[in-house]
Amino acid sequence: MAIENLGNMNKMLSNYSTQDWTKSASIDQASMPKFNELNPNQATGAAAPQSFSEIMASSLAEVNNMQVEANKAIQKLASGQTKNISETMLAVENAEIAFKTMNQVRMKVIEAYKEIMRMQM
Amino acid sequence: MDLLTSLKISSSGLTANKKRMAAITSNIANAQTTRTAEGGPYQPKEVVFGSEPARESFSEILEGELQENAQAVHATEIQNSKKPPVLKYEPNHPDANPEGYVAYPNINTMEEMANMIEASRAYEANINAMSTAKSMAIKDLEIGRN
Amino acid sequence: MKLEDKTLQALTASLKFRQLRQELHASNIANAETPGYKAKKLDFEEALARALDVDDQLAMKSSDSRHFNVGGGSFNNLQPEVYEDSNGIVSPDGNNVDRDQEMAEMAENKVMYDATVQLINKKLGLLKYAIGSGQ
Repeated sequence: MAIENLGNMNKMLSNYSTQDWTKSASIDQASMPKFNELNPNQATGAAAPQSFSEIMASSLAEVNNMQVEANKAIQKLASGQTKNISETMLAVENAEIAFKTMNQVRMKVIEAYKEIMRMQM
Repeated sequence: MDLLTSLKISSSGLTANKKRMAAITSNIANAQTTRTAEGGPYQPKEVVFGSEPARESFSEILEGELQENAQAVHATEIQNSKKPPVLKYEPNHPDANPEGYVAYPNINTMEEMANMIEASRAYEANINAMSTAKSMAIKDLEIGRN
Repeated sequence: MKLEDKTLQALTASLKFRQLRQELHASNIANAETPGYKAKKLDFEEALARALDVDDQLAMKSSDSRHFNVGGGSFNNLQPEVYEDSNGIVSPDGNNVDRDQEMAEMAENKVMYDATVQLINKKLGLLKYAIGSGQ
């Protein structure tokens, strides 16, 4: 019963040796994307499972791209190259939602980091 | 925004069209008037429109971007038309001249009615322009309001 | 410190030009019966498109203030073009204003004005959100 569960939990925990734990958390400098040279086309769409930093980087690039596209749509509307107001509004709205979502994610990540730092060792 | 200039222009249009309506209604009412205080038949009235610069003082012109481009409209005073009266043969009419002809004002009532409709539409269009300018200014107040 | 990017500046400039365009529409409508009056039109879209240089297609260098403002992003000295409309039916008294067309164009100008204000609000709102770090 309770003691059996404890035994199972012990077995599970022993599967994760401390060494494994630190290895997966270490930052591999070579494979990390260089932020200055981010090309949105490269960053999106990887078949292999990505690390969290790669996902963050590609999402950031995507959000930035949406902002750029929204700006272009606004410029086209202001200079009369398009008369499609709805398209522009949708592009702007999408970019805004993406930005706010990314900001929320950022806040959650920071919160999680602080939570981890608070753990007593 | 130079809301005032836009409103001035539109209101000049309203005033001009009101004067025009006054002339038209006077004409319609007096289409059969053969006797007036000045003697002779009624003279048809008309107004002539002319454009004038909307910004009158030099400082306004300096401030304005368009200088004299935006024009207000100005209706001249109601003046008598130059059309000669129409003579009709009615020897028994009290105002008949020695040959038996009566001078009637040269007013085509149908034409005046058409002019009246036109003036009314012009008036509405100027009202429309005025309210558009006003709501653009009101929209300005919403900048920055989330 | 200038907070504004090219887009916001373009939007602000187009606000001003649309107000001027409204003045011309009012003028045309008021003078729709004036003998000899020719309808006036305002074109700012071309100058704005040049200054914006969307898609970086033009990419010209301008070293003199009299050069066309291409992509340079300076929207303060944009010159709109005011011209007399040469198309349109000229009535016998020399007037070529089409009142209904003026009203339609005025309505379109108003809608675009409202859209511009809304886009400015959106951009400013996002800026304020980023400053306030989403609290």
